[in-house]
Amino acid sequence: MILQGLSAVLQPMTILLVAIGVAVGIIFGAIPGLTATMAIVMFLPVTYSMTSAQGISMLMALYIGGISGGLISAILLNIPGTPSSVATCFDGKPMANKGEAGKALGTGVVFSFIGTVIGIGLLMVLAPVLCDFALKFQAYEYCALAVFSLSMVIALTGRDMPKGLISAVIGALLATVGLAPVDSKPRFTFGTYQLNNGFALLVLLIGLFAISEVMAYAESVRKNQGYTIETNYKIRGAGFSIKEGLAQTKNAIVSALIGVGIGILPGIGGGVSCMIAYTVSKNTSKHRELYGTGIMDGVVASETANNATIGGAMIPLLSLGIPGDAATAMLLGGLQIHNVAPGPLIYQKSGEVVYAIFFAMVLSAIFMLIFMLFGMRFFVSVLKIPKNFLLPVIVVLCGIGAIGNANNLFDTYSMVAFGLMSYLLIKSKIPTVPMILGFILGPTFETNLRRVSQLASSDPFYRHPIFCVLIVATVLVVIFSTRANLKDARRAQEEELAEMEKMKAAGSDGE
Amino acid sequence: MSNKQYKLDIIPGIVLSLFAAFYLLQVPKIVEFKGLGSTPLTNRFVPYLWGGALLLLSLWILVRGIIRRKKYLAEGGRADKNSFAEAVSDKREVIASFISLTIYVALMGSVGFVIMTLIYVFVQILILTPRENWKKTYLPALITAAAAAGILFYVFRYLLNVLLPVGVLSVFGL
Repeated sequence: MILQGLSAVLQPMTILLVAIGVAVGIIFGAIPGLTATMAIVMFLPVTYSMTSAQGISMLMALYIGGISGGLISAILLNIPGTPSSVATCFDGKPMANKGEAGKALGTGVVFSFIGTVIGIGLLMVLAPVLCDFALKFQAYEYCALAVFSLSMVIALTGRDMPKGLISAVIGALLATVGLAPVDSKPRFTFGTYQLNNGFALLVLLIGLFAISEVMAYAESVRKNQGYTIETNYKIRGAGFSIKEGLAQTKNAIVSALIGVGIGILPGIGGGVSCMIAYTVSKNTSKHRELYGTGIMDGVVASETANNATIGGAMIPLLSLGIPGDAATAMLLGGLQIHNVAPGPLIYQKSGEVVYAIFFAMVLSAIFMLIFMLFGMRFFVSVLKIPKNFLLPVIVVLCGIGAIGNANNLFDTYSMVAFGLMSYLLIKSKIPTVPMILGFILGPTFETNLRRVSQLASSDPFYRHPIFCVLIVATVLVVIFSTRANLKDARRAQEEELAEMEKMKAAGSDGE
Repeated sequence: MSNKQYKLDIIPGIVLSLFAAFYLLQVPKIVEFKGLGSTPLTNRFVPYLWGGALLLLSLWILVRGIIRRKKYLAEGGRADKNSFAEAVSDKREVIASFISLTIYVALMGSVGFVIMTLIYVFVQILILTPRENWKKTYLPALITAAAAAGILFYVFRYLLNVLLPVGVLSVFGL
C-alpha cells in the first residue's frame, strides 16, 4: 500500500498537479481575503475528472500552499493572508519595517516547511495513538479546552487586561448571531435570513485586518510616514544564518507540537494554534519584551505552529471523518467525491490513497519551500508597489473573498461593518486579536457547556481527568498571566510618573 | 497622564455599555427550545453570560476613565476642547474611505462588479493620494482601476466561478 501510494504520487501528471496546486495555494494564501479553504472550494470541481490520488493530492497541495502563502501578506502588508498567519503579523511586519523583510520571509518559509514536515511525520507515525486520545474528548473536555484557550487571552492582552477581555467577549458575542447550537433556534438575526448561519470567520478577519489597514493608511496620507521600507538589499540563502536558525530549534519544536496538538482537536485550526504558540513562545522567552518589535522568534513560533497544524488536522479527518477546520471540512468533501470514506477503516479500504496523501503532503512541502524561496524577491517586490494603488485593489480582492465565501453579497456589508468596528476599537486602544479567539472558541464553549449541563447529573465532572487537568491549567494561566500583566502595568505607571517628574523638572529649569 | 487617555476609557466605556445593554435586552426575544432533548442551560444562557460580561467590563473601563479624568483635572490638567468639525476634518480621508467603500458594496449588486470596482478603485486611489499629487495620479489610477475591474471580473467570474454581480452590463450578455 505504501509503495502504491508512492507510485501514484510520483506520476508526472500528479507531480505537475501538486506543483500547480502549491503555486495557486500560495497565491490564494498571500492575497488577503482569499484562503486555502477558498482555493480548495474553487478547485474541487476541477478535480472531478481526476483519479482519487491526483485529485486529493492537488487539494492537499492547495491546502499546504494556502496556509504557507499567508505569511507573505502578513509580513509585507500587516494583513494576514489567512487566519493561520494572524500571529505572523506581530513580528513579521515590524521586521519588514526595519528593512528585514527578506529575513522575515525566509524565516517564515523555512519554518513553515519544518512545521509541515514535523506535522506530516507525527501524522504518519502517531496517528493511531493520537486518534485514540482525541476520541476520549467529549463535551466536558471540549468545554474545558475552550475555557483554557480563552484564558490565554489574558496572557495575550498585556497590561490593559479589561480591554483585552472586552475584545474577546465581543468576539464571542458576535459568534452568538445565527442559529443557536444544539437546538438551532435563530438568535439576533432580526429577521435577516442571511444571518441564520452567523458571521463567517473569514469575513470578520477581512474586516478586522484588511479594512482597518486601509483606514490606517488613509489616516497617514497627509502625515509624513515615520519609516521607509528598505527593499534594496541582498538576501543570502534563506535570509538568516545557520546559527540564527539553530537557535530557534527549541522554539520550533515546541511550536510544532502545539500546532499538531491544536490541529488534532476538531474545530480549532491554525488561527488559534499560531496565537497559542506565539503566546507560549513569548511567555517562555528570556526576552519577552522584544516580542512585537520585530524578532525572528515570533515568526518562527507562528509559522511553525500553523503549518504543523495541517498534519494535526489531518489526523481526525482521516481516522474519524471529523474535520479539524474549514479547509479540512472542504477536504472531507473532496475525499467523499473521490469515493474515499474517512473513518477508522480508511487504512483497510483506501490505504493507497491515504499513503498517497502523505507523500503528496511531503511533495507539496518541498515545492512550497522551493517556490517561496525562489519567489521571495518577487514577493518582496510587492512592497515597491505604491500603497495608495495596492490597497484599493486589495480591498476589492477582499470583497471578492467575502462574496466567494458563500456566494453572497451580504457578506460584503458585514465586511464593511467589521472594518468600521475594528477601526473604532483600534482607536480606543482595544486590541482586536483576542476577538478572533472569542469568535472561534465561543461556539465551541457554548455547544459543549450546554451538553455538559445535560450530562452533569448522570456523568459528573470528576470522572473526566482531562477536564480536571485543563481546568487546573486554566486557573494557573489566569493567575500567572494576571500577575505578569499587573507587574507590567505597574512598571509602565512608574515609567510614566518618572517621565512626568523629568518634564516638570525641565520646565522649572527653563523658567 | 495625557488628556486623551481618560477619553479612551470613557467614550468606549459608554458606547460598549449601551451596546451591551441593547444586546441583553434582545436576549429575552430568543425563542427557547423546550422539547425533547432540550438542555437545562437554554439558548439564552450564553448570550446572557457574554452580554453581562461585556456590560461589567465596559462599566469597569468607564469608571476607570472617570477616576482618571478626576485625577487629571486635580493635577491641574485642562479638558480637551477640540470641536467636532476639527475632528471630522482631521479624519476626512478615513471618513471618505468608509463612505466610498459603503457605496461600493451597496451598489455592487444593482450596478455590477465591473462598473462599481472601476469607480471605487479610482476614487479610493485618489483618497489615499495627497491632493498635490492628484494631477499626475489621474491616468495611472484610471488604468489601474480599469485593469483591476476587468481582469478580476474575468478571472473570478469565468475561471473561478465566483458569482460576482454583473449588474447593468447584463444587457451586453455578460
